[in-house]
Amino acid sequence: MKHNTFLGAVLGAMICSATAYAIEPGDTAPAFTVKNVKGEEVSLADQKGKVVVLEWNNHDCPYVKKHYGSGNLPKLQETYTAKGVVWISINSNAGVNASDLAARSAKEGSKASQVVVDPDGKVGKAYGALTTPHMIVIGKDGKVAYNGAIDSINSTDAADIEKADKHVVAALDALLSGKTVELAKTKPYGCGVKYAK
Amino acid sequence: MAGMNFSVLLAAGLPLVAPLSAAVKSGHAMAELIAGVSSYQPGKSFPVAVRLTVDPGWHTYWINPGVGGMPVKATWTLPEGWTAGELQQPVPKRFMTGDLPGFGYEGETVFLVDLTPPAGATGEAECKVKLAWLTCDESACVPGDAELSVKLEAGNGKPGKEAAAVEAAKKIPVPPAQDLLFGVEEREGRLILSVLSSEIDLAGVSAFPATPDVIDPAEPLTFEKGKDAWMASGKKSEYLKGPVTQLDIVVSGGKLKQPLLLSWRAEE
Repeated sequence: MKHNTFLGAVLGAMICSATAYAIEPGDTAPAFTVKNVKGEEVSLADQKGKVVVLEWNNHDCPYVKKHYGSGNLPKLQETYTAKGVVWISINSNAGVNASDLAARSAKEGSKASQVVVDPDGKVGKAYGALTTPHMIVIGKDGKVAYNGAIDSINSTDAADIEKADKHVVAALDALLSGKTVELAKTKPYGCGVKYAK
Repeated sequence: MAGMNFSVLLAAGLPLVAPLSAAVKSGHAMAELIAGVSSYQPGKSFPVAVRLTVDPGWHTYWINPGVGGMPVKATWTLPEGWTAGELQQPVPKRFMTGDLPGFGYEGETVFLVDLTPPAGATGEAECKVKLAWLTCDESACVPGDAELSVKLEAGNGKPGKEAAAVEAAKKIPVPPAQDLLFGVEEREGRLILSVLSSEIDLAGVSAFPATPDVIDPAEPLTFEKGKDAWMASGKKSEYLKGPVTQLDIVVSGGKLKQPLLLSWRAEE
């Protein structure tokens, strides 16, 4: 490039910004213990040796409505829990109420193994969950195998689900057949997680 | 009393303008389609404007929405042989939604689209657009959509209700008149942007990355004057796979008369 001579000075003057640590594919999935909507403790450590899906969720978000209203997420939950996958839906919104979430999840047809609450956002922040939905897939080895969007089309239109590349399905199918997840990181799309301030 | 109003208009000798669809409210925004001409000329492009007015406290998103959010999407249904250009988006502002940085618009935004009738077009043409957007505020996101249409007769293409379109055109970034030697280089996880300073003054401009997922939107882009070039740097997006190959940025304000779109492509 033509402007190499100026770069040294500019670089010298630059200060690296501090940004939150994001979990990268290959990292050990951070341990957590949270309560499900029935008040029981759910621990990642108890799922050892299983493929685990973490799905950040907020039923008031139009992106989440796209995937529940269309039946897409309940169907994925049903399909993969039948294959031994542990599917944990997490709500990290500030002050999320367990009994309200239990009722709402039932109404939306959730087939998740666990619906858990993270009202102080600890689990969400440990995983760098940005949006609803934001999907993390953890392999049997306890390492993060996929981090990102549910699929490839950033929209609230359920008609796009069929047309999209299904990133989470691809990751799960690869893990369940002992293969490497090819696309391990994408940019999640959705509403921001409404963390406690 | 609609009939009476109509006759009053006729009596006042006001010209009849092309019928326009009424504004449509959906979610937290109101959408409207405005033609820049009173009629179309076969074979000749003309602009139409899409006006989106977002409720106070809410925002909608630019072509690079940042993290979360969704760009406004326009899907056209046009008579046979007609084509629609891209939804041309004005300069955005940068905002935070909770912890997430984003680019977009508050209040009223006017987008432009060029429509082109085929050379052999005749008679009345109905141009329809389905618009979809997302508005968010600190605590929620609400989608909106609207189907809008405009009917135009073939004619001399004289300007119609063009005021909004003309006003909008000033805010749409354009490529610079001459090549400005815009360079991008990757160094230690950061992207260094340079614009040769002999031909442009970028003092005090606002700069925004228009290509999504190349520069992390977490920090604002700021140009400072070096010896021979204006320089800015931004953290490389964690979602950019491999080396940087292209970047468009928008610069506006400062001493610029018109917002500019600067494009960089890696040499083959």
